[in-house]
Amino acid sequence: MSATCEYQAKDYKSDLKPIWCPGCGDFSVVQGIYRALAAIGRPPHEIAFVSGIGCSSRIPGYTTAYGFNSVHGRSLPIAQGIKLANPDLLVLAAGGDGDGFSIGGGHIAHLIRRNMDITYIVMDNQIYGLTKGQLSPTSQKGRTTCTSRYGSLEEPVNPLLYVLAYGAGFVAQASPTDLAGMAATIEEAIRYPGFAFVNIQSPCVTYGEDAQQIKGLKAISENLTALGHNPADRLAAMDLAQHYGEKLHLGVFYRNPEPAPTYDGLVRERQALLSKDAPPAENILDLFIKK
Amino acid sequence: MRKDLVFGMAGSGGDGIVSAGDSLLQAAAAEGYHGVMTKSFGSQIRGGESSCRVRISTTPILNPGGNLDVAVALNWDDFLKFGAELPVSGNTVVIYEAATKILEADIPLVGVTPLQVIAVPIAEMAKATAGTERAKNTVVLGLIAGWFGIGAVAVMKGIRKKLAKKGEELVDANQRAFDAGRAFAMEHPLKVSMNVAASATKGQVKLITDGNDMCAAAAIFAGCRFFGGYPITPSTEVMQFFTDHVWKYNGAVLQAEDEIAGIGAAVGASFAGTKSMTATSGPGLSLKSEMMGLASIAELPLVIVDVQRGGPSTGLPTKTEQSDLFAAAFSAHGDVIRPVLAPTSVADTFRITIEAFNIAEYYQTPVIVLSDQEIASRKETLDPIDTTQFKIINRVVPTGTDLVDYKRFKQTDNHISPISHPGMLGGTYLASGIEHVESGAPTNSGSVHQRMNDKRTKKFDPLKERKDLFEVTGNPDAPIAILAWGSVAGVCREALEMAQAEGINVKLMVPYLLYPVAEGIYNEFFQSVQKGLIVEQTHLAQTFKLLRMHIDLPKGVQSLARSGANPFLPTDIVEALHRLLSELQRSHEGQLQPQE
Repeated sequence: MSATCEYQAKDYKSDLKPIWCPGCGDFSVVQGIYRALAAIGRPPHEIAFVSGIGCSSRIPGYTTAYGFNSVHGRSLPIAQGIKLANPDLLVLAAGGDGDGFSIGGGHIAHLIRRNMDITYIVMDNQIYGLTKGQLSPTSQKGRTTCTSRYGSLEEPVNPLLYVLAYGAGFVAQASPTDLAGMAATIEEAIRYPGFAFVNIQSPCVTYGEDAQQIKGLKAISENLTALGHNPADRLAAMDLAQHYGEKLHLGVFYRNPEPAPTYDGLVRERQALLSKDAPPAENILDLFIKK
Repeated sequence: MRKDLVFGMAGSGGDGIVSAGDSLLQAAAAEGYHGVMTKSFGSQIRGGESSCRVRISTTPILNPGGNLDVAVALNWDDFLKFGAELPVSGNTVVIYEAATKILEADIPLVGVTPLQVIAVPIAEMAKATAGTERAKNTVVLGLIAGWFGIGAVAVMKGIRKKLAKKGEELVDANQRAFDAGRAFAMEHPLKVSMNVAASATKGQVKLITDGNDMCAAAAIFAGCRFFGGYPITPSTEVMQFFTDHVWKYNGAVLQAEDEIAGIGAAVGASFAGTKSMTATSGPGLSLKSEMMGLASIAELPLVIVDVQRGGPSTGLPTKTEQSDLFAAAFSAHGDVIRPVLAPTSVADTFRITIEAFNIAEYYQTPVIVLSDQEIASRKETLDPIDTTQFKIINRVVPTGTDLVDYKRFKQTDNHISPISHPGMLGGTYLASGIEHVESGAPTNSGSVHQRMNDKRTKKFDPLKERKDLFEVTGNPDAPIAILAWGSVAGVCREALEMAQAEGINVKLMVPYLLYPVAEGIYNEFFQSVQKGLIVEQTHLAQTFKLLRMHIDLPKGVQSLARSGANPFLPTDIVEALHRLLSELQRSHEGQLQPQE
């Protein structure tokens, strides 16, 4: 079946007008998602798209999928509940760097070790935009913001190393500097059978620094394929990921050549095995009979 | 012949006192008795003090009983740690370990002279017959069979079954220990015989389970197929039951990384169209509150079980209390109604949990099942339940014309909008914690917010008319009333019977629906009332205050509230009723005085 021909990018675009500032990187990200979904060709009603809170977390509403704009930092637990309730769905999660690596930072490690077939897109802009420009977990050390008037005293989180270290099976980075590449990367992430992570350097035009805008990003970007990186090499990926913040490597850092079984797949196997000779649920109280 | 006996036993963690209680309860069930067993522990995982109460009766049991008829102390330090949980009176037979070297006249019980005190060389008998002190609990069961006539055959039958895999020698050793206990009892008859009459229902099938297992089983019966949670005492067994059984029904469990992720996954599963649940206790309820607010505004069905323990914070994690009432009713911020239901026993945990799912699904709302440590961990013998009488309600889903220009939060006459889920063609929408218009699109309009708050609160109006969620017993026109919920209700049911037997004109209300407060139902109940007691295990009299927030309680209605782990006895309630009665009589006499 050539499902890929049935849908176009516009079929995934909703009527809601984004609240993002003109020029925000997230406009490109949502375009990249439309294109990736069209390439995959799943009908919108079979997609569940979950987010937390933040500028970027508005994104599910701008698609025609079932969206869930939830609470700050909790897109991943909700996405996992959706996936376990209905493993047939295509489940996407998205949010900002604060949502994913600060308030919700405890969840990603556990989703990685469960390896559910969920794709997680972080729109990383190194700032809290929705609350008007505070320090974020990926802000570089020394940066001045309205909550760090004399400069940040903390090292930033490195999202790429973080997920690679926990053993994510698919890790990639993209940026609006290369929209076609971003769409292809998101598509590949969704197609990966297991947990997939895409970090997107998405500039904040209002609170971002000059070096973080498109021109600055272009100046430090390097394509991983052009560099000759082998995405099956996890250690090489970790080596490259150390340059997060100095260089912008675009493309796939790591793709497990032998994807591990997914939690949702194992759950299905267990259900099939144990439901075979199960007594009907109506008789569940029989478990308590003492003979 | 007695028709009812209350045993209380305490020892160190390794003494097997709880396992003896289990054996006694099972034996009693096999012999057709009704039984209730509660457990109480220190907070150590192993080796601390542990105790159990077993109440056995020829008629159905309303609560774990008041003063002990029989107290068993394997050592006094441990026994005394339970204080009011194991109350000894002048009618109690006290059995204790002779190796404590304390004379019968010198036992450390202050202010009470038991009916009879017997020192038994329990450890010595265990060693002599079974070769190990570990058989002490079996000796105790032998003593009980000998003195009280319970379990003479059934106890060893149960032990034999339990130990069958461990070899014949161990079974024989236990048999010798049991026989030694029985023989000791025969040789030392009680001053007053306390044999229990045979049960009329001997030979009938009985169920035995505790509140947590019953809650989980009821959830699966109601169609719940997803559980997300995190281990916390004393609610963990709910999750354990799911991990044992839900796969068989094509369901799933997620033991999450924290309390928030546990409820988050349950919210996600519900969004995906699956009935789902989480369970927790005290601190976990605090952590889950933000997600509860999300489920309320996104109008997603969800059941949250809160097994109350002593609070705040870690509080008394292994003891019962009712102090989560405010937290259950008001936990998340914002203007919101979240129904709270409370079971009063293991048996009605089945009905109340099913009711919670039905309300969650019908009203598209999170519902809290407010259980407590006592109900959750106590075991009850139950007569088989006719499950065909329970109706299961499922959420209303959009069909046909609903799906043309589908509006997820459409205003309807009953304020309930058909709810789609991912996978349903034509039903796509944005669920959100942000305020939204009918389609689900975000808004910050004050007028929409007003309308949606109306929708989300008015939809519960019919719930406040549900008289079947309130139990009223006693004379409906009585001038004196008692009101209690949760595990305290059973104590009050027994107190009501005692007070009625004394000729006191009194009635009892047990609400199963605690929130929203059903003003009309309470007003009707209190119409005849001049004096009353709101009985609860909270320090701040939360139930009394919650009711006063919503209704004008008659002036003579008072609070009888105490902190958790200080159980009420039926006699405490009757005593308080005597006080009310004399106040009532005095005020009537006052009215009869000629006015100056």
